[in-house]
Amino acid sequence: MRNPLPNPLPDAMPLRDALRGLRHAVRRGGETLLDVMPLNQLPPPATHLAGAVIREMGVLAKGVGEVASDFARIALGGGDAPHSAPLKLTARLGAEDEFAQGIYAALRLVLQRLDAPSVYVSETAARMAYLSLLPDQRQGQDADIAAALSLSLVEAKVLRGASAQDAAHVPGRAIENVAIFAVMLWLQSNRHEAEDEAALASATDLALVIAAEADAAIVSRDSPKLSALYAEFAAHV
Amino acid sequence: MSELPPLSGSLPSTNEPLRIAVRRMRWFRAAFEAYVKAIGDRVGCTYQIDDAKLAAIFVRWLRAVESQKPSNRQDRHDYFEFAAGLMLRELTADMPLVALSPPSKSAADSAATFWPEGYACTMFCLTVHSAAMEHEFQDKPQVSPVIEDLRHWWSFKENAQMGASFSVGFLLTLLGHQPNWMMPDVFRVRLSDELQQP
Repeated sequence: MRNPLPNPLPDAMPLRDALRGLRHAVRRGGETLLDVMPLNQLPPPATHLAGAVIREMGVLAKGVGEVASDFARIALGGGDAPHSAPLKLTARLGAEDEFAQGIYAALRLVLQRLDAPSVYVSETAARMAYLSLLPDQRQGQDADIAAALSLSLVEAKVLRGASAQDAAHVPGRAIENVAIFAVMLWLQSNRHEAEDEAALASATDLALVIAAEADAAIVSRDSPKLSALYAEFAAHV
Repeated sequence: MSELPPLSGSLPSTNEPLRIAVRRMRWFRAAFEAYVKAIGDRVGCTYQIDDAKLAAIFVRWLRAVESQKPSNRQDRHDYFEFAAGLMLRELTADMPLVALSPPSKSAADSAATFWPEGYACTMFCLTVHSAAMEHEFQDKPQVSPVIEDLRHWWSFKENAQMGASFSVGFLLTLLGHQPNWMMPDVFRVRLSDELQQP
């Protein structure tokens, strides 16, 4: 199977990523400011003003980040039919964008469940990860394709900026690898649209239980081991 | 032998065979939560569930079931019973429940009052097992009268704390069997095969 053609339409994805990067910086900056600024020690007019500005920046930035969320359901399949074998690695136009949008939204939900919502997710990196798969990596069993994609997502740094506090929510502090494993496991699960979020939560919890195994396979780039873990658990999400 | 208390209706509906659904994390968790709520209402107590423990229990149970799965389809019926015992083993090995108050609607000498957490887990395993057996084999399992005997529950709690494998034997006893107490968590068909090997 040949690689998909690049989408010739104007590319909004890097712009979305740039705005999300701004959001990430503002959120982190806001958190830092709130952590370090002695707002409660300022006289009343100043403390209200300073607090309001910081909160407003956070709200504006949060709105930017939700742009892609609505695309996720479309990207990962809508309707009532069960999603099975949903790794739609076709050569059709725009497949890489659908994949990236879906991965972005799913990672955001996983990070929320891991209590690390401020970790930065790059949709552009997800697209690059998809496009960088070799033709022979696009063939075979779902678990094999998922393993190749997982390693590609890690290499492309689809997740960035996890703080020590974020990482501490996952055994072995492997929050990035565990989050990617959870999303790729979820993509392989058999589920209806109504079960999407419950299945993603279950995939996240399963990933946490086998975090050490998943992380070891990813760190050592052991694709067969990663594929075996997907094959073992995809039917049990 | 008698029928289980009628709480099977508290299990979530599914379009899949129960033997498939119970091996999906999302159904297992929903079923456990719903059942614990229902049995808590019946005995008059509120339980708190540790989700992380429950997820780890589920994974250990999956792997245990898979590792001893018999190849002969004739053993499926027996293995369903054994798998329910393995589920109880994993639940008692790292109890995911805490009763936040003593049961207010149960008799003082009842199993629910004696060990509310162990009672809820045991009844969950029996109920899921019963529903699966009914679906797969049109068979409605009966439970032994020993389920009402507090001495068995005392022995269960005491022994399960020393070794969770005892839980498998306890559940099989409730289902009217005489377990192999030396190795209760080794599927007896496999054990038999291995003993016959030179």
